[in-house]
Amino acid sequence: MSDDLRDYLNRLPDLELDLLLEAYEKPLPEGFRINTLKSSEEQVLARLKRKGYEFEKIPWARHGYVLAGGSDLGKTLEHMLGLIYLQGPVSMAPVEVLDPRPGEVVLDLCAAPGSKSTQIAQLLDGRGVIVANDISFDRIKALSSNLQRFGVLNCIITLADGRRYPRFAREFFDKVIVDAPCSSLGIISKDWGIAKSWSIKLVERLSDLQKQLILAGFECLKPGGVLVYSTCTLTIEENEAVVNWLLESREDAKIIDAGLPGLRYRPGYTETENMRFNEDLRKTLRIMPYDNWAEGFYIAKILKEG
Amino acid sequence: MIRAGQGRIRATTSETLEVATRLRKVQQVGLYIAKLIKSDIVLSIEGSQLLDGAIKKNVIELSEEEAEKWMKAAPIERFREKSEARYVVARCGDLYLGSGRFSRDGRIYPQVAKWRRIPEE
Repeated sequence: MSDDLRDYLNRLPDLELDLLLEAYEKPLPEGFRINTLKSSEEQVLARLKRKGYEFEKIPWARHGYVLAGGSDLGKTLEHMLGLIYLQGPVSMAPVEVLDPRPGEVVLDLCAAPGSKSTQIAQLLDGRGVIVANDISFDRIKALSSNLQRFGVLNCIITLADGRRYPRFAREFFDKVIVDAPCSSLGIISKDWGIAKSWSIKLVERLSDLQKQLILAGFECLKPGGVLVYSTCTLTIEENEAVVNWLLESREDAKIIDAGLPGLRYRPGYTETENMRFNEDLRKTLRIMPYDNWAEGFYIAKILKEG
Repeated sequence: MIRAGQGRIRATTSETLEVATRLRKVQQVGLYIAKLIKSDIVLSIEGSQLLDGAIKKNVIELSEEEAEKWMKAAPIERFREKSEARYVVARCGDLYLGSGRFSRDGRIYPQVAKWRRIPEE
């Protein structure tokens, strides 16, 4: 870990650096979702049990489980046939906060490779539409494969810069999720290269991008709609500062409560040594890797009044 | 149902199609379910799963072990009746695994895309 990153983390309020480093040393738990579009939960779990897999239910994720015994779930018949989707347990939280309902038209603005789009599709249960967008042609291929394998009939894939989406979809969607590209400090366990390549300049560039994306997502939302903003990083510039900027830019943006049963988190920061934010940021969720011994995440749930 | 390029057929809902006409930069809509090859309809894995109970003929039953082989795109041995179609659909219990092609050597070659195959050990 670079000295810059260590210094930055040490300045985060209430951060327990020893616990964080311990979390980074552990492998992330292997989570998966049962694809209820293709089969019943009972049938798939029975198949996995027969193959010797053991698992525990994730309290905050409908259809979500963590592997407790067995390995190589990604090489099973069940995975290749689309009966299960491999996804980190905390990564399932943003879509649970969004809570898409059958019949809604939902936008996933930064969708590739498709964990959250397939999760949204499953909760729509074949009714309504999931629009999965990404800016990268290469990443769209993975998105397409995952939506295919998951068996999603009611999906549209678009290849567009998310920042420009309001040009053709202003106030179009019932719900929007902006799972923004970020510095990924919540998942260093997956790749220590993230810690090595981190810099405050990178964070500042990402923060600018994230502000544009959250605003674009908000503009695509119908009045009365809900937007969830999420990242898998821990910096204030990419989390609270982005949401606070939206609140300052749009009077009709209101943060609403977002807690999930069984998910350990702490409230978003409203104050640091040189920044002060809207008090409502307390309603956002800051999830450290050592909170659930899984990925670190940040989640904000925002209502568009009207 | 939508005709896509290279003989492919995609399926979606009417609501999805309606939404797609109002958006821009659309790359893909719905699910790939089949491909027309000359006079044959070759169902994809999802195509066979969608149609499941409606597929009455040209279905071969696989054991669990054969299903694993199928998803590695390994050929399956089966005796072929002269009247049997060039393409069949594979099923393992209540799981549908898409189409395979009968070859002159008497084997069935699963039509499983590379990205979808169980990797060899």
